Order: sequence, then C-alpha cells, then structure tokens
Amino acid sequence: MLESIVDFIHYPFLTRALITTVFLAMTCGLLSPIVIAKRYAFVGSAVSHSTLLGLAIGIYFGGSESSMTLFLWTLIITLILSMFLAKSTWRQALPSDTLIGLFFTATMGLGTLVHALSTRSSGDLLSYLFGNVLLLTNTDVAISIIVSLLIIPLILIPWKSWLMSTYDEDFAIISGVPAKALHYIFTIALTALIVSAIKVSGTVLVNALLLTPGFFALRFARSLKSTFTLSVLYSIVTALLGLVLANYLETPSGATLAVTQVALLMIAILITKMTKKS
Amino acid sequence: MLKAKQLSYAYSELAPALENISFTIDKSQMLGIIGPNGGGKSTLLKLIVGLLPMQTGTLEFNEKPLSQTALAYIPQSQELNDSLPMRVSDFLELIPKKASRSLDECLDRVGILDKKNDLMRELSGGQRQRALLARALRCSPEILILDEPTTGLDGQGQDQLMQLLKSLQHEEKTTIVVVDHNLGQVLKHADKVLCLNKSHHWHESKELLTKNIIEDIYHCEFEHIRLHEAGATFDDHHHECQHDHSHEHDGEGKKDA
Repeated sequence: MLESIVDFIHYPFLTRALITTVFLAMTCGLLSPIVIAKRYAFVGSAVSHSTLLGLAIGIYFGGSESSMTLFLWTLIITLILSMFLAKSTWRQALPSDTLIGLFFTATMGLGTLVHALSTRSSGDLLSYLFGNVLLLTNTDVAISIIVSLLIIPLILIPWKSWLMSTYDEDFAIISGVPAKALHYIFTIALTALIVSAIKVSGTVLVNALLLTPGFFALRFARSLKSTFTLSVLYSIVTALLGLVLANYLETPSGATLAVTQVALLMIAILITKMTKKS
Repeated sequence: MLKAKQLSYAYSELAPALENISFTIDKSQMLGIIGPNGGGKSTLLKLIVGLLPMQTGTLEFNEKPLSQTALAYIPQSQELNDSLPMRVSDFLELIPKKASRSLDECLDRVGILDKKNDLMRELSGGQRQRALLARALRCSPEILILDEPTTGLDGQGQDQLMQLLKSLQHEEKTTIVVVDHNLGQVLKHADKVLCLNKSHHWHESKELLTKNIIEDIYHCEFEHIRLHEAGATFDDHHHECQHDHSHEHDGEGKKDA
C-alpha cells in the first residue's frame, strides 16, 4: 500500500492525477452543498451526460491528441446545451425533471451516434465515460487548476448572495440579488467543472464527486461554515483515498473514486445510526 | 400614504388575474388583504414587492414610487430552503445592505433572543415567523409586507404574532400589509381591509365591512366561511365555494411559539 502512495511521486502520470484530483475535489466540495440545496443534482447529471456529445464532436473535429482543443470543443458544446437546461429550470411552476431526463438521454444518445458515425474518430469514448488517469496531460492539469481558480472566487466573493438565493430565493430577488444571473453562472461553473473532470472521473461517475461531499456535510454539519468546510475536506480526503486505491488495486480511477466516496458516506451514516441506538 | 391606482395584471391575454385594483392606506396603518383562493391576493402581493413586473397602474408610497421605499417582505416560512443548516444568527445576516439595527436588538424585539444559535429548521412555526420578522426589522423598513403569516400557527400563536405586528405598527410607525386567508385575525387586527376577487374588490375601513360584502366577494355564504375557519369539513359534492380549503388545517399537529 505504501508503495502505491510513493508511486504518486515517481510516476508523472500519477502526479498529474494527484494534482488534478486535489483541485477537482476542492471545487466539487465547495459547490456540492449548493448543488444539493438548490436541488440541482439531476441538472448536474444531465450536464455530465451531455458532455458526451461535445466530446464526440470534439474528437471528430480536433482528435483526442490535443487536450486543450478537446476541452474547448467539449466545453463550448456542453455550455450551449446547458444554457437550454438553465433556461428551462429557472423558476418553473411545473417540475422540469422529465425535460431534464429527455435532455440527457437525447444528448448522450446523439454523442454516441456522432462518435459511431464519424470516420475520423480516434478517441476511446469509454475512457471518457468512466475516467482514465492515463489520459491526463500537463495541459489537463493546467485546465483543472485554472477552472478551480476561476470557480472558487466566483463562489466565495458573492458568498452572501449565493446563500440568499439558495435559502430564500424570493427574498433574494426582492432585495436586488441577481438570482437569475447567479442561476446561469452556477450552471456555467458546474459545466466547466464537469468538463474539466471528465478524464479523472468520467462523465457517468462525476456526479459522485458533485453530490457525496455535500450530502455528507449537510447530514452532519450544524452550521453553514461547518457544512462547506466539512464538504471540502470530505471531498479531498475521500477523492485522494479513492485515487490511491485505484492505483493499488489497478482499477479505473472514476469508478474507484465514486465507490470510495459513497462507501465512506454509508459507513458514516451507519456508525451514526448505531451510536444513536446504543 | 401607500397608494395603489388602477392595478391590473394578466399572466396570459385571456384571463386577467387582477383588474383595476385601487386602494390607499395611511402611514403606520395595517391593511389586511383577504379573498377567495385564486382571487389575486398573491398576484397583488408579488406586484407590490416587485416579484412581478407592473403592467398597468401605479404604486406609490408618500408620493414616491414604491421601488424607492424601504420595504421588507416576509414570505411564508415554509418557502425557506431548510436543507441548509441555517442558524438564526446567520439568517439575520442575510440582508442586502448594511443593517441599521443590531442582530440582538431585532431578536430581542420579537422575543427570540434565546434562539440566536438555534437552527432555523428546528424552530416552531411561530418562532420561524418571528425570525423572519427580526430579519425584516434589521433594515428598519417603512413598509412590512407579510404573506400568510398565520399559516401553521394555532389560535394563540396567531394572536401573539398579530399583536407583535400591531406593536411594530404603533411603536415604530411601520405601515403593514398582510395577505391572509384567516378572516378572523385580519378583521380583528387590520385597520383597513381589501376584499379581493380578481376585478371584484372592496376596500375601506374594516368597520364598514359587512357580511353581505364578504359573501359577495367570496361568492359564498358568510356562515360557511366561518365554519371553514372553525375547522368544519365538507364532504358533500355540492360544496363548490371558492374559499381556500388548503389552509384550514395547516396548523394542526405543528408546534407553536
């Protein structure tokens, strides 16, 4: 096991995975309680699945060799799609879950079709579905750092506005908080984060990173400050543990990361229940 | 003076939700807005607070547009997103501008200073309403607008809350607008009443309000409305009045201050 940890210093691809995971987990941990409180879990799922269309188009036009080209193609296509999603979920009287469900199956299906029909495709779409740290390049590390450094202040600077629009949206709007703009900004941030996380966690499994830390924190924290602190810490610690386990067991990174995070959450809930009973 | 002139609002071209509604209330008076379900109470409230854009008509306070007035809106307490562990003290910090009154002063004013470190979601219905009121007081509003404040409270809790509003009205010269399904509380505490059913409305001092006017606005017999408020249930198929049934048992089984 200790050797698996030392590997992260010796092998450059593992060092890249480590740095990317830390930044990714930190940002996901910060966003996660808001995603859950705003009931955006399904939106996150739809965005992550729709990245497949962007990836397929990106691979068709630019190939999968250039990380930056692929990232930009995927980001642009997914952003266009997620703006439709943001528009259809802003203060709707009717539940929008059906629309979101249709949206993500349609975009994922379309992505698979584009990939299957394109003759110039060279990338392995399966690696993007479940994550593969071997795909990570120095550019990917830089992308994840830049995305994190853009998103973190975007949340921390207008901190009160995020809380107001999450806790009491009507009051926020009346008080002059640009709640609609924040809704769109959050969708954009979520999209950029998901797209930058694809190689580590995969489009299908990125939701574990987005939901588990917030769920853990909202269940155990007793204040706003402790909620976000706990969420970020849980996210970083469990993601790193997942990455080490993936290397030790030689399993896919995204799947190991997701299973580690959810398993630890279940253990924590179980221990709390058992402690309460005794 | 709060003055609304010829307010109309339509969500679609076919059916106006409000038509030519006018009313006035003097500074530091309480206006109670009552009416049947779907009669436009919520639409009017959303227009006043700015959640809906004005289509026709004007709203002024002391000859100035309402947008330039220090206005505080108190939503229904169940509209708060309780998935976040919000402490009362944190909740009172969620205000748009610099507070003119301290957190402790406002909590003390509404009688829940001892709940400062409690979670909002663990407060009783009455305490939550008081916390909402305390947040509104932090910016010393000229107008307080409340949406169904008595929902979920038992009789005693309703009385305590309305008395607290009356004391704010008199001691701090605050103008208060209350939208409530609770006819009894509105008639007991408001100075003026706006009885509203879309284009059909009546507005005057509450002393002038008669049983016939209420029946006319509600399209329902007065005794019937009172029976609803007393908690009677109606299983007959002929029961088609527009009175708001959904609220009648909201308070049952809930804690109160």
